[in-house]
This record gives sequence, C-alpha cells and structure tokens, in this order.
Amino acid sequence: MRIVYHLIVLYLTVHFLWYLAREKKFWKQAGIVLVLIMFLLRLFLVE
Amino acid sequence: MTGTETMSLNRFVRAALLFALTVLVCVLSGREFLSMRAADAIYPSPGLTAARALSDYFPALKGTPGDTPVYVYAGPKDGGNVLVIGGAHPNEPAGFVTAVVLAENIRAVRGKVVIVPRANASGFTHSDPQEGSPQRFPIATASGERWFRLGSRVTNPIHQWPDPTIYVTPTGQTLAGIEARNLNRAYPGKAGGNLTEKVAYGIMELIKKERIDLGIDLHESAPEYPVINAIVFHENSADLAATAQMELQAEGFEFRLEASPPNLRGLSHREWGDAAGIRAILMETPNASHGRLKGKPSIGLIIDGKDKFYEKAARLGRLFVPFGPDGIPLRDRVARHLAGLRAILAGLTELDPGKAVEVEDLPTADRVRVEGIGAFLR
Amino acid sequence: MPEYLILLLMVGVFIVLAVPLKLPMGFAIALSALAGALAGGQGFALRHLVEGAFGFFDIILIIASAMIFMKVLQESGILDSLVAVLLKTFYRNKVLLLLAVMLLVMFPGMITGSSLAAVLSTGPLVAPVLMKLGLPRLKTAAFVAMGAILGMIAPPVNILVMIMGGGVDMPYAGLTLPLLIIVVPLAVIIALGLGLKDLKAVSADEMKALLPESVFEKNGVRLYLPLLLVLALMILQNLNVPLIRDLGLPAIFFIGSLSGLFCGRPFNFIKATQKAVEEAMPILSILAGVGMFIQVMTLTGARGWAVMTFLSLPPALLYASIGVSLPLFGGVSAFGSASVLGVPFLLALINKNALITSSALSAIVGIGDLMPPAAMAARFSAQVVGERSFFKVLRYCLVPALLLLAMGIGVLLLAPLLDKVI
Repeated sequence: MRIVYHLIVLYLTVHFLWYLAREKKFWKQAGIVLVLIMFLLRLFLVE
Repeated sequence: MTGTETMSLNRFVRAALLFALTVLVCVLSGREFLSMRAADAIYPSPGLTAARALSDYFPALKGTPGDTPVYVYAGPKDGGNVLVIGGAHPNEPAGFVTAVVLAENIRAVRGKVVIVPRANASGFTHSDPQEGSPQRFPIATASGERWFRLGSRVTNPIHQWPDPTIYVTPTGQTLAGIEARNLNRAYPGKAGGNLTEKVAYGIMELIKKERIDLGIDLHESAPEYPVINAIVFHENSADLAATAQMELQAEGFEFRLEASPPNLRGLSHREWGDAAGIRAILMETPNASHGRLKGKPSIGLIIDGKDKFYEKAARLGRLFVPFGPDGIPLRDRVARHLAGLRAILAGLTELDPGKAVEVEDLPTADRVRVEGIGAFLR
Repeated sequence: MPEYLILLLMVGVFIVLAVPLKLPMGFAIALSALAGALAGGQGFALRHLVEGAFGFFDIILIIASAMIFMKVLQESGILDSLVAVLLKTFYRNKVLLLLAVMLLVMFPGMITGSSLAAVLSTGPLVAPVLMKLGLPRLKTAAFVAMGAILGMIAPPVNILVMIMGGGVDMPYAGLTLPLLIIVVPLAVIIALGLGLKDLKAVSADEMKALLPESVFEKNGVRLYLPLLLVLALMILQNLNVPLIRDLGLPAIFFIGSLSGLFCGRPFNFIKATQKAVEEAMPILSILAGVGMFIQVMTLTGARGWAVMTFLSLPPALLYASIGVSLPLFGGVSAFGSASVLGVPFLLALINKNALITSSALSAIVGIGDLMPPAAMAARFSAQVVGERSFFKVLRYCLVPALLLLAMGIGVLLLAPLLDKVI
C-alpha cells in the first residue's frame, strides 16, 4: 500500500509543479508552495 | 522575493524562484527532521550478559525501523524472568529514561531481567505534529551532557504509511486510524501485520523465548488523565500489584491501583496477560509535557516539569495529581518508576519465591531524587 | 510577551493580510503563524512550521483525491446520468425524495466519519436533483453541508468520538443508540425544513424536460460503477477485509477516479486532475497554513492559554464554554477540536455517562465544519452548487446549526436521564 501512496504523492506533486508554472497570480503561486513543501518532503520520505 | 519587481517578472521565472525557495525550506527543515533518525547511545552496565535485538526473536524485523536493542541481565542463581519495557510511547520520557538507568546500572543476582528501552524505535524518529515539542533534552552526567530524543506517541508515518480510516486491533477493538501506529494498542501483534503490529509480535516472541514470568511497561500520562501515578494490572497480577502498593505506601509513595479493563484491547497489561499468560503491569507517572493544558513546551518543561497552566488547573480541581509551583520534575518521575520496579520485584519474590528476581545496583528512588538522574548514567 | 498577546497578534496579522491586503487566506494564515513564532522568541521556527502543516497532510491527500474523483464524475457524464436516474425515481413524492436524498448525502459520512467525503462523493449527485426540482442554490448547498455533518456524527463510524474516547480510554462500543438519538430527529427536521417549502412536485412531462443529458443509453449500468466502487470500498474497509482495510480514503477515491475512465464518455484524466488541483488548492494551502498556526499556538503557549481559559470558566458557564469553544476551534479543524478541547471537556464531565456525553460533544464539534477559516463542509458544498462565496451558504446553515447545537447541549444536560432510559 505504501507504494500506492508514494505514487499518489508523486502524481499530485507533478500536478502541483505544473500548476505552479501555469498560475499567473503571484500570491496564488505562493500558496502552492505551502503545500508543495510537504509533498516534496513526503516524496523523499523525510517527514 | 517581495516587491513589485518580482511581481512583474515572467510567471515562469517566478515559479522557478518559488520552487527554489520550496527546495530551500525542504532542505533546511528536512535536515532537522532527519537528525531524529540517529539513535541515542545506551551504555549497558557490566552486569549485561547478552546484547540482542528484537529481530533475534522475530527475524522479520531485521533491517526495519522497528528493530530495537534488547539487553539481557542473567544472574548466577535460578529464579524468575522479568521484562521491562520503556519507550513504548517515546513522548513519555520517564518511561524510556528509567529503562536506560536500569540498563546502565543493574546486575542480576537471581533470575533474569530483560530490558527493551526503546520499544517503539520508529516513534523516536519524529515528533507529534502540532505539539511543538523540542526534539531532544539533555541530562547532565559526570562525563558531560547526554542528549536524548523526545519522540512521538506513535510510529513514524514514513515507516508505516498510510493510516487506515479506522483501525481494528489484532483482538478486534475499533479505534481511530492513527492508533494503527500506537504500539500500546497493537498487542499481541501480528506476524504479517503493519510495522507496529510486527514490533508487538516481536515483543510477544521475546516473552515466549525468554520465558518471561512478569512484564512491566513504563509509561507516563498527562496530569488531567485519571489513570496516573498508577499501577495498572492484569487480573492475574492483582496480588502482586496490591503487595507492591503497600510496600510503596510504607516508603511514602502513593500509587493508585487500576485493574486492566477486560474490554480495552490491544494494551500491554491486557494482552501480555491474556495471550502469553504472564503477569502484566503498567506504570504511569505524571508528565505535563504531553498534556493538553500545557503552556510553552520546552526542555525545561520536560526536565523540571513546571507549568503555570497545570498549576492553575490543579487549583481548579481539574487534575488527578497534586501540581504545585515546583512542578513534577523528570528526576522525581524516574525515581517513582524505580521505586515501583523495586517494590514489584520484592512483591514477586514474596508471592512466588520460585520466580524470585534479585538485582544489585538498582538505584534507589531517594538517591535519584537527591543526586539526580545523571549520577546514574554513564 | 504573554500568551494571549501573541495569539492576539497572530489573529491581527491574519486579519490585516487577509482583509485589506487581500492575500489568499492560506498564505495569510501561514504568515501570521510566522509572526507568532517571531513574537514568541522562537525565530523563524522553520521545523515547527513545516511539522505543524504535516498535521493535516492526510486530510490534504483525502481532499485532493476526492476532488479528482468529483471532476471525473462530471467530465465523464456519469454525474448527469445518475442525476437523471434519481429524478426519474423520486420526482413524484417530495417527502420521500428529501429523506432519500438526505440519507444519500449522509451515507459516505456515516461510513468514513468524514463530512468531506460526504460533500465530495454523493454531494455532487444530489445537489443537481434538488436544484432542478426548485430548491434554491444556496439552500441546496446548506442541505448538503448539514447532511454531511450529520453523516459524520451518525454511526457506525464517528471519528470524533473515537478521538475523544482514545483520550479517556473509552472503547468505541455502545455508541449506536446515543448517536442515533441525536442524528435521526435532526436529519428529518433539517431535510424537511430546508426543502419542503421550495421543492416542487412536478408532472412526468415536466420532469422529462428537467432531465440532464444522459450517457446512460450508450454506457448502461457501467455508469454506476465508480460511485458504487467507492461506496463499496468504504464499507469493506470498515469490515476489516484484508488488503481493503488498509486502502484509506485517498486510494479509494483514486480507484474510483480511474474506474471512471472506462465507464462514461471519454475524457482527459490528466486535464481533469489539473482542474481538480486548481479548485482544491485554496483549501489545501489554508489547511497547511492552519497546521502551522496551531503548531505556533502550541509552541508559544497560546494553545494552553486558550484551553485553560475555556476550562477555568465557572461551572455554570461550562456548557456555554462547550457550545462556543468546540465549534470555534472546529473552524480550524474538527478533529483537532475533538482532541485538544473535546478530551478535557469529556474529563470535566466524567461523572456522567461517557458514551452519551462524547456523542453529544461530537455533535457540537461537528458544527465546527461550518466555521471559518476552514469551514470544510460549507466551503465544498458551495463549490458543489457552483457558488463562489461559502459565507452565503452559511446564512442558510444558521438555523440547522443552532438546532444541532441545542440538541448537543440538550443531550449533555439530560445525560443522567438518558442514561436511565437507554
């Protein structure tokens, strides 16, 4: 199951990054960062 | 990163800069998170007769974050076998520190003592989110400060992921999903279960293979929680708990006796007795640093145990222990656990001389209170 | 600096950033947490900020995957087709329709203990049905939000009670009756109260004109698969079925979403995900920010101050304190409220039957899902009906929420009596 969740997090992380590049408003981009930090740390199994 | 200049930048450049910032935050915070993965050193006393790992009893744990050291102290004379567990909940420092003090001091004369100081090793590698706890705390010893990690109540989600929506314990109790990572709800464990259930299973295997007669699980509870300063006992150990309580009372320690509720499954004091048939006891001391009413969490709160909100709560009659301006220091909590252990071992000898366990150099509660914990750490 | 001043500063910074400066709420909350850490002498406290956010990581995963599931149901035409089926079945009888629809909204909440799962799985299904039959949009959203909250409280799975029970060593057993006593009357009253006046009974011809475009002809019963799969997996995981019990809600929603690829009209899964991510992002970053905020509150002692303030009110005000603080903290997180405040309150009421008091407290905590800033139930039900501002939805939730509160407090007060009856 862990692999499944790892894949889910990977899939969502890619989408967050894509959305970060696509979004035009700075503050909205900044909001994505808050979430992205967690997903990267979980993706690399740090926290 | 602020100012109109950044705002007017191309959105891709901004995204790249923000991504760089993200990575920076990940690296900086990640370093702190990862610093919890290194285990604190434990220096067993010369009385140690065998150093093992939990995986020696249950090989499936080998190489997993659930594997943990097991220290065996066998005496020259035949007697009973006692298991002492610390760190089942790594956010309850007195339980873990008492087990370390034990491991670094005792020598068995009769029977055998088996110590697992970090029962949930994975729980020591992270902190409980939103509790704001320090990652570690120091104890001054003759050879300098020794730092110990203050972990989380539950297994690290990195090691056991994801949580189910609801958790059904191996013996069928339904609990909130996060409890799937609580070692003291996972007994008697499952060989093919999640990591926490495997650790619980490993401890059951240890109990079998070391022919344990009595298991003692060292914990702490929040001062607002009714089961506190308590000996929780399986019904097969009622006589032992009562004998120990009388002995402790004579020494000036008030301990509540709490019978293990038969419908509360998965806990050590229930399943060790039911599944392995051994005498089972769990002890609780009061710890403000993991309570819900605590003020600013700090190293001071862990070590000195002073907290103004708990003081206020005590005045309002909301607590189940006295809590004054002097707080309840770790030193006193460890002393209390040591006194409890001594009384329980004496009780075992009295009730069942064939299973007697005698140890030397077990620090007395009085000396720990006067000289400090550090005097009994290497 | 005293704890209450730090808390005041954090709230002040948040308001200034969110209202006049119009920063997105998530980022404003995160910055106010940072301000609190600095004022509390903790420096940037980076580790604490990130650690606090992780407190909501699991919920963030659930929301993201549930939003994808919702998008898939829309894009594949499955949603419209199912709405058509519901309309055809129930258009004749208003009362039956309202009660059936209420049960449908509640159901995912009942089996997952999460109001969010309810709003985002069956919510999108029932909302168009109600609106097509004449219920105004905002009332429909209120209907979905209240149904979801009642579902979260209703048995068999009430995670709020599990959390509180865990704090006092109360096994999760014997709760069905007390929870039903709270939920059933409210579900009937709220469903009929919100819907009976506005809902129109229509003729068969009128009904046919209302039917959305259905892809049923082309795809047949396959259309039911994604929703049935999700609901079935939710039930099976509770029955302790090996493998399935470990799935968790995010994986269940992903399985449902992927099955949607084969069950309706063709659509681009990647683009649907991106749309879902875009719509979910505001609440995802709010949750991350709120996690940071709570951690800094704890770190600076402000959380302890808040808990003690509510607990130290005179006994006469205890119930008022429960009625105010539990929903208020629930605006940050209902689960957090149950754990941080629910447990001390349960201990304060320890001389009453814990099964009854924890059930009543969970009902009061549930109201928190309507409270800003998170306002999970209200926010997503607004989204389900296509309303941008969830505050407008709250207007119609007010009376039902007060009923829920009155029921909760009433059960607390009558606990000794109920104890004898049940």
